Amino acid sequence: MSAELWTEKYRPKTLKEVVNHGEIMSRLKRFVEDKNLPHLLFVGPAGVGKTTTILALAKDLYGPEYMNHILELNASDERGINVIREKVKNFARTAPIQSGVSFKILIMDEADSLTTAAQHALRRTMERYTKTCRFCLIGNYSESIIEPIQSRCAVFRFAHLSENDIRERIKHIAELEHVKLLDTGFNALLEASSGDLRKGINILQTAAAAKGGYVDEEVVLSVLGHVSPKEVREMVLLSLKGRFLEAREILRRLLLEEGLAGEDLVKQIYSEVLRLQIPDVWKVRLSETIGEVDYRLTQGASVEIQLGALLAKFALAGEEMGQSNEARGKSLD
Amino acid sequence: MKPEGSPWTERFRPRTLSDVTGNKEALRELVDWVNSWRARVPQNRAAFLYGPPGVGKTSSVEALANDLGFDLVEVNASDYRTAKRLETILGKASAQTQTLFGTRRMILFDELEGISGQEDRGGIETILIIIKETRSPIILVATGSPEEWGELLDPLMKVSEIIEFRHIPFRDIVQRLKALCREVGVEAEEEVVELIAEKSSGDLRSAINDLEALARGRKALTLKDVYWLGDRDRKGELSEVLRRIFSAKSFREAREAFAESPIGYEELFEWIYENLPYAFDDPHDLAEAMDALSHADVHKKRADKTQEYRLLKYMFNAMTAEVALTRQESKGGGLIQEVRRALLRFGLPPTSLLIQEGGEGLIVKPTRYMGNDWQPLNNLLRGFGGRWLRGEGCWVIPYFRPPGRIDHLRRSWWSRRMLEDLAMKVAAKCHISKRAALREVVPYIRAIFQENEKSGVSVAQWLELDEGTIKWLRGK
Repeated sequence: MSAELWTEKYRPKTLKEVVNHGEIMSRLKRFVEDKNLPHLLFVGPAGVGKTTTILALAKDLYGPEYMNHILELNASDERGINVIREKVKNFARTAPIQSGVSFKILIMDEADSLTTAAQHALRRTMERYTKTCRFCLIGNYSESIIEPIQSRCAVFRFAHLSENDIRERIKHIAELEHVKLLDTGFNALLEASSGDLRKGINILQTAAAAKGGYVDEEVVLSVLGHVSPKEVREMVLLSLKGRFLEAREILRRLLLEEGLAGEDLVKQIYSEVLRLQIPDVWKVRLSETIGEVDYRLTQGASVEIQLGALLAKFALAGEEMGQSNEARGKSLD
Repeated sequence: MKPEGSPWTERFRPRTLSDVTGNKEALRELVDWVNSWRARVPQNRAAFLYGPPGVGKTSSVEALANDLGFDLVEVNASDYRTAKRLETILGKASAQTQTLFGTRRMILFDELEGISGQEDRGGIETILIIIKETRSPIILVATGSPEEWGELLDPLMKVSEIIEFRHIPFRDIVQRLKALCREVGVEAEEEVVELIAEKSSGDLRSAINDLEALARGRKALTLKDVYWLGDRDRKGELSEVLRRIFSAKSFREAREAFAESPIGYEELFEWIYENLPYAFDDPHDLAEAMDALSHADVHKKRADKTQEYRLLKYMFNAMTAEVALTRQESKGGGLIQEVRRALLRFGLPPTSLLIQEGGEGLIVKPTRYMGNDWQPLNNLLRGFGGRWLRGEGCWVIPYFRPPGRIDHLRRSWWSRRMLEDLAMKVAAKCHISKRAALREVVPYIRAIFQENEKSGVSVAQWLELDEGTIKWLRGK
């Protein structure tokens, strides 16, 4: 027996099923009726339906065999210029197969992580093969897409989903899956998903698996405990207490055994630091330090060495905070 | 058997699998895989053998071919391995199952870790194509472990049956050496053979080479003849270099110590990084010294990226002199102090252990029968990298810890491979990037497995995960 992930099972299959973003949908439906499209740029936060929308559009446009007419690339996995030179060009330059539509669609997800060089290469490709191929670029921010590409695209800005949108969707899925979702569980779930529908659905499915479809607050919290380990926090706290060696062990585990990307780990460390009960002036200092490390990682520096150095700085910060607290007769913790 | 003049490692190379020392499990996997070809072409058309040097990877393949009557076509590092060359050498060897005389073929690619991106252009791609099309078993052999090669060989490993060879256990090496001594008619004292085996750290070939160097032209070997036996890994020198770097008082002292390093700068960097927190126990010093290492790392990346290797000197300065000169307040008891503290916490009466600083490391010698305490104490000291020397009745704990990062990489290699596979499948099914899959979906799948294995398995089936990955997810 095989069971889909609910995020896929309940992904809207046609534009009509996409209930939110009304204005955007009505414009896109027009494109489908005309069987014509400009290049598209979808921007907006995670989990609001950008990829879903373009897939639904493609299905409306080409029918059930739509996968034969599109190519999905993810710039986060293939971000260099070679992707543009090879995969993109090869797809874009060949004529579309018989479909009653004169072009294919190339979807470039997470386009903001394309290097600038790659974006420039893309720009020429987009122009050259307009006849046979339309591009749909998807990203979080339009700022990270170079101007010349933006100006070649119709830009659609996807807003955050409202809490009500998410509530309705989750409720809908819960009913179809016969999940008994208690109010307490529902609220905990909504809070944890913070506007990201994908996250909300994932939490729902995991929680439903836990107690045979009975989901209360306790179950939701247990799921959250599994998926967002406390280890990042523990690592930061240990280093602040001067226990560098133990913190370094956790760092290694997270990087090597959990396979976390350096950038993602820095992001989590950063949010933990902002949550710490420490004087603001220290938050500012640590933010500076993290910023430097984050930049170095973009330049290809070694994640463990750079984060190791960061933890050692935390240890020093902890020591200095401790001393100034002692001077004032307080203690950390 | 080869003539008496040839080196012993050649002369006594196993001719049949039953002569191969150690790695019985790996051999069984290998034989099973080759036998699976009898029924039909198996899913993995190549087997990937890897492991430390001198444990019998190539010998096993040769013995196997001999036992099962295969004609072995071999390509190794002495051949240029560009796409073109490979095609000419192998030509139809992979496409035809039999030679002119009706024997079956087996193809061996040896020393793959030495394949070079530059000179062997297209080599890996060509091997991949050969694997895809082959009608004969292909065996790939690489010395070392995946983390040493980086991603170089990943594409090959993905399409292969992976078989790991391990160090040959001390006892097995001793047995083998004794048998050799009997065969060549040399009478060797037990201790001599044990010393050679010990020094080889699981590398049977180097042990045989050492034995040959000592025993050729002799009738007997005593401890007196071998005490000078060369130390292959030169750890003694390395610890001296590290000690001098950590305690250098001037730029020059630090760079001089660096110049005498018996190991390469990348490996030395790892040793410094590993041991730095023990040598710099003051938080201020530690932060500055780690900062110096982070600078060294940046310089290295710049040199690699631009291929302007003159930039490396800034790396060397940062990892030696800059590190050393940050030292202000640290007492620097180092690893030894940690060990002493741990022993104190262990709670034996102070007189039951004699603790001394020796040339190679800290010597811990029990002064009485340890009984039930021995095992936990042994575990504790092994955790610090210590070894029990049976002959001496003491542990030796080296002054510096080998880089744990490498060890960690080795231990977690399998998990990372599984995670990678999982993330790829999720990315394909869920229209997201691999990285996003790892971050946003994989944790839930793991959680589903923890909460309810049955649901987990059905999701896994939808994702078309293979049995190995499912087993791994279950085990979590």
